[in-house]
Amino acid sequence: MVAMKGSRRILLAMMVGLAFLPLFAPRFYTYLISLILVYGLLATSLNLALGYGGMFQFHHCVFYGVGAYTTALMITKTKLPAVLAFLAAPVSAALLSLIFGIICVRLSKLYFGMLQISLGSLVWVIVYRWYSFTGGDNGIHGIPIPEILASTKGAYYFTLLITSICMFILYLIVNSPFGRTLQGIRDNPTRSETIGVNVKLHQLVALIIAGFFAGVSGMLFVVVDTAVFPDMLFWTLSLEVLIMCLVGGWFSFLGPMLGSAVILTLRTIVSTYTVYWSLALGIVMSLVILFLPNGILGFIEERWGRAFK
Amino acid sequence: MDLYAFISQIVVGLSRTVILFIVSSGLSLILGVLRIPNVAHGSFYMIGAFAAYSICKFFGGQDVGFWIALFGAPLFVALIGFVAERAIFQFLYQREHLMLLLITCGFSLIFGDLVKLVWGGEYKTVPVPKVFQGYVLLFKHLHLPRYNAFLLVVGPIVAFLLWFFVNKTKIGKISRAAAVDREMVEAVGINVSWVFAITFVVGCFLAGLGGMLVAPTISVSLGMDHTLIMESFLIVIIGGLGNIWGALVGALIFGLAQSLGILIFPKFGIVLPYAAVVLVLIFKPRGLLKSTW
Amino acid sequence: MTILEVLGVSKSFDGFLAIKRAQFDVKKGEIVAVIGPNGAGKTTLFNLISGVLKPDSGKIFYKGEDITGLEPHEVFRKGICRSFQIVNLFPRLTVLENVRLSILSREKRTWHLFKNASNFYEKECDHILEQVGLKEKKHIVAGFLSHGEQKILEIAIALGGKPELLILDEPTAGMSPEETSRCMELISRLRKELGLTILFCEHNMDVVFGYADRIVVMVRGETVIQGTCDEVRCNKLVREAYLGVSDG
Repeated sequence: MVAMKGSRRILLAMMVGLAFLPLFAPRFYTYLISLILVYGLLATSLNLALGYGGMFQFHHCVFYGVGAYTTALMITKTKLPAVLAFLAAPVSAALLSLIFGIICVRLSKLYFGMLQISLGSLVWVIVYRWYSFTGGDNGIHGIPIPEILASTKGAYYFTLLITSICMFILYLIVNSPFGRTLQGIRDNPTRSETIGVNVKLHQLVALIIAGFFAGVSGMLFVVVDTAVFPDMLFWTLSLEVLIMCLVGGWFSFLGPMLGSAVILTLRTIVSTYTVYWSLALGIVMSLVILFLPNGILGFIEERWGRAFK
Repeated sequence: MDLYAFISQIVVGLSRTVILFIVSSGLSLILGVLRIPNVAHGSFYMIGAFAAYSICKFFGGQDVGFWIALFGAPLFVALIGFVAERAIFQFLYQREHLMLLLITCGFSLIFGDLVKLVWGGEYKTVPVPKVFQGYVLLFKHLHLPRYNAFLLVVGPIVAFLLWFFVNKTKIGKISRAAAVDREMVEAVGINVSWVFAITFVVGCFLAGLGGMLVAPTISVSLGMDHTLIMESFLIVIIGGLGNIWGALVGALIFGLAQSLGILIFPKFGIVLPYAAVVLVLIFKPRGLLKSTW
Repeated sequence: MTILEVLGVSKSFDGFLAIKRAQFDVKKGEIVAVIGPNGAGKTTLFNLISGVLKPDSGKIFYKGEDITGLEPHEVFRKGICRSFQIVNLFPRLTVLENVRLSILSREKRTWHLFKNASNFYEKECDHILEQVGLKEKKHIVAGFLSHGEQKILEIAIALGGKPELLILDEPTAGMSPEETSRCMELISRLRKELGLTILFCEHNMDVVFGYADRIVVMVRGETVIQGTCDEVRCNKLVREAYLGVSDG
């Protein structure tokens, strides 16, 4: 689907706005938008496997957490330059995706999801317990990152740059023959097999790509927040990212990013009034599933027919 | 390390297995009969523990509080479960599994914060009743905490009652039939809706019972639902979806792996049960026993 | 020249013997119909040939090569394409995209990550859609087509694979009489224009006797007889078992 000129213009305006944001917005908002971009990229990478690939990727945050920890550990424990630490994150995440993928791809649907949860929980518990190496349940704080990226502004621009590049690449992938094949597999794996598609192999590659970009967002989180903690690998965060995809719309490309903006903004607002954020999130989630199964963008598309794909 | 310390550690592990089995069997029942992957089951467990705390506190920490809580807390949870089932869940049975999973996740978040609302965020302690404090001495050298011995007695009793309910009572048999073919059961004129409600309530009762029983052994706190529901699902998956005896097998594997793990690697022991789950699922992705899915 | 040989193929499910030593052959350029009562195992047989199921025993030869037990995508690469009895499309993609996917797969272009899929094979898709008569509907989402059109799209998708042997599972099921004759005319045309060999199964006896060169009769998992229309029509076993019953 080709985005109509109108939506392209909106996108361009937003990009310009984002580029100039730190110059006039308070520091907190810059930080918040950085986080939105990070989680938006993470959610979009999840959606490659879930919305476009139809795979029940229930524990996507394992790759995110592993990417983040890789960067954190490399910076704090070795004398290697930070750039290598940044590059290592997506590579390690992709490697883990490969391993998980080979194990899980033999199964379908629910069993795929459950095996992934068990593998992910295993990784979580190792990170959680390995106090001497990973800092255990304290995590690692105050990670020293290069000067230019250390300030809120610096971190923001770096995040904006990397996220934009990654989103662009993901957009290309989704509209490529590979992306189209993946959607075919999602809609009808048997049919795909009989027209010659090696379904399992395509799914595996999709998982590796999704894991790769999850690793990137993990690395970005380290830059923005200078900390890592085991909860980044816990299933509840995977659930939150899933909710972002759901709320924004998981059949559209920008849905997850929108979902990230909605959830994080909501969390910021709600948290200033009350401590009961989980309650609000749970209610939002239940309402969205019951009444807006295709998310916000899905709803807009149905109503006004504009393809944001 | 001598044999008796080893055995005592295993037995402590078995008592943990009892808790896991009780909670997981409830989950398995709901999963098998109602086909709902109920993530909120962990919340019911947590509510059971907090309810036990409140009841014990009401009786000023006296032993009688414990005994009342033993039935009171699970009943309270069962009541909440009943209301939830009638008000919400009974309209959701026909939905897709993925949707049900996500909806119950939402409920789990809601319940979690409701607990925070009612009981606050600090750790709570539930005292072990005086009659169970201290140790039991077996075979002259085996020291077993009395409360764990109590759990080891409760476990088989619950298992037997559950077996009786599922296999010997009319409702149990109907729910097993409804699990396989709801429409047929309805066609025969049975009000399946009430059967489902009762099954759900029993499942919640078990969750509450598990929470109540575990309360004196740990600090009751928020977040206990999240870890437990993950463990419970893993147990139910390796046992075979919907199979209550699978829940027993799974709980045994998980509980024993945990004890053995701690014995062999004191710091990392807790990793072993998760590794065991992964191993089982790699070779038997549908679980060890027959699943009803 | 024999293009497909099915030799003594058997398959059971949990103890139930669904296919019992099935045996027949198809010659190049023929149109062969498989008929039999419901439950005779026609779809199972097609599943075995196309790789969706693996036979317990017996062999399947395609152009002299043993293809028994190959995966569906490997069978596809040999030149065998099939359509399904119950409509089995990509419901969320457009008609054009459905066919394009088939061609992309055939040309092994499914691994292209960075080029836009819309730039590929538009002309060939148009050509195929024109042949089957769906060209005006090419931008409609497949899920919104009428049932008859969806079945034609099924065939179009199979054609995208440039097959030599086309296996069609009840291609006219659920179609009105005009749709049926249009579909069968299409199939004969395809045989003539593209030199395809066609194996299909059907319940509609007019279609079978009107278009098939040879007929294979299946009863309870066994291939009872294979012969020309006249041979089959006159055969006593067949008359008893099947032809006495009115159209399913």
